[in-house]
Amino acid sequence: MATPEANEEKPGENSILWVARPMATAARQFTKSLFRPSTIVYPYERLEDPKFRDRLEVASGKPFGVGEVWDNYRGVHALNIATCISCNLCAFSCPDICIDMVTVAGGDPKHPKKCPQIDYGKCSYCGFCSDACPEGCLTMTTRYELSTPKRSEMVYSPEKLYQVFRSKLPMNPIRLARPANEDAILLDPPLCIGCNACARDCPTNCITMLDVPKPEAKPGEKLPRRIWKEPVVNDSDCVRCGTCISVCPKECLFWGTRK
Amino acid sequence: MSTITLYSVAYGLASLLLGALGSILPGAARAAVTNVDVVTGLGVLIFAAILLAASMLNTIVLIWWERKLLGRFMDRRGAMHVGYAGLLQNFADGFKLFRKDTVKPREADALGFFTGPAAYMVTSMIIFGVLPISTGWNSGALPLSLLLALAIFSFAPLFIFVSAWSSNNKYSLMGGMRSAAQMIAYEVPLLLAVVAVVIVSGSFSLTTIVYEQQNYWYWGPLFVALIVFVAAMLAEMERIPFDLPEAEAELVEGWNTEYGGMLFAFFMLADYLRALVGSILVVLLFLGGWTMPSWVPSAATSFPLAGIFWFMLKTYLVFGVFVWIRASLPRVRTDQLLRVGWNRMIPLSLLAVFLAAVLVTVKCVWPFGCVPSMGV
Repeated sequence: MATPEANEEKPGENSILWVARPMATAARQFTKSLFRPSTIVYPYERLEDPKFRDRLEVASGKPFGVGEVWDNYRGVHALNIATCISCNLCAFSCPDICIDMVTVAGGDPKHPKKCPQIDYGKCSYCGFCSDACPEGCLTMTTRYELSTPKRSEMVYSPEKLYQVFRSKLPMNPIRLARPANEDAILLDPPLCIGCNACARDCPTNCITMLDVPKPEAKPGEKLPRRIWKEPVVNDSDCVRCGTCISVCPKECLFWGTRK
Repeated sequence: MSTITLYSVAYGLASLLLGALGSILPGAARAAVTNVDVVTGLGVLIFAAILLAASMLNTIVLIWWERKLLGRFMDRRGAMHVGYAGLLQNFADGFKLFRKDTVKPREADALGFFTGPAAYMVTSMIIFGVLPISTGWNSGALPLSLLLALAIFSFAPLFIFVSAWSSNNKYSLMGGMRSAAQMIAYEVPLLLAVVAVVIVSGSFSLTTIVYEQQNYWYWGPLFVALIVFVAAMLAEMERIPFDLPEAEAELVEGWNTEYGGMLFAFFMLADYLRALVGSILVVLLFLGGWTMPSWVPSAATSFPLAGIFWFMLKTYLVFGVFVWIRASLPRVRTDQLLRVGWNRMIPLSLLAVFLAAVLVTVKCVWPFGCVPSMGV
């Protein structure tokens, strides 16, 4: 326990040093800060400016360059509306439920084209949506200046996200190497009624309804009332969005591995 | 008119204004307006207005200077955005404080609560009035201006105590008590250090003290007195490491806890005005005031207002040293302050007085030179 005597000046120590030592330290700090301040005057200078290249290397331990450190920064999204297939996977994968699929121009009236609208007030910039995007049309850029005076301006419509895409910012490249998906859409044939809902709603049109032979009715047996067609999924075109599973009225489609 | 002085500026402005006014007035009124007493009176008013504006402007620039220096000491940049390098930041802050409401605690004593800041501010301004800035730039060659300045300087703890007590807040009261207790620690060594200067210069007039330093500035031979004076002046200005009355970490904001808005701005301005006066006193007593050594080329000392330029440069550098001390040293405790004041600073100041007496006796000291003229 510290007694009051412990705080007294020790007779052997030179009390001049108590003043001189901190002042020397402060002077050293002052001189360093005068010529090379640690602070970056942010709105006027940015860390990505070439003059701060050495600091980025020091901070990350990696060389500065495209695809190394700076490029996989997860900032605001860029959406290419032209290649979006409205598969809903981004909205499915979003852990913050900040993505709404809203109608954009360009679809036919019966099946309107829907593209993601992102609420940056909720977004946690995890990047799951751009990971999930099968067409690579929703990517994350390096832009990080998103502050606005209004809360409503934090909701980015698909058109606004397309503007970001048009500005050609460096894209986050992590989703370019996407692992092959082994899952496939399987069918439980006895349940299918051949209603065409899956083929109608498939965003990639990879489902074709093929005829199946109508069995001969045995005496006393009643054939089910159905259209004698069954879906066949083209696995190479399928993006595994699961839309067909969710629209199937008889729940006869399911995930599985094709033998 | 060869040199511009404060008198010539004030009286020139007054006569110009009244002359222009008289030229558009009928005869009788013109005679009344251009009467020499009226011109003199307006001149004095302009004189006071110039002093007030100069002190306030310098105080605000001093706050900017401290913020920039302190920023570099902390590896920041200080104010950056408003004006060039943040020069107008303090005006923006002052405007914000000016727009704020003045809140008085219900239990506070209105008389002391409102007169305390005003008296603190006014006494700090009066000191600025007696300080000479340059040749011809003073408000009168008072023979005891040094004594007057120090006397007004030591008013402050009284008003701090009044405003702290009438705030009816325990933190404020503790801050006021500390301010009063601190005073007895630094006042004696401060005056003894000044006595050393007075012995060598033989005068209580600040102007004379500056002119007595023509052979050598007093910081060299009176180095001990300078150290004691700076340390005691830090306590007088209530700056870190001696800002016990305003210890943010212990007493919320010290004696100005209950003050907000413009009243707080008064305290803030007065604090920095006193810091400015303290730096000016160091420059006047120890650093030769507005004069420069003889080895400085005459081109550097003969341009218009050169005296004011060198004086302000020295003042801001001395204040930079105060900021340096603030950035380096932690706040001391009350008992430590009293021990430093009585055990260390009073013996040192007595030593300084002794050294000053020796200097006066031997008259010439290598490498500084000789005492020019001994008034005693």
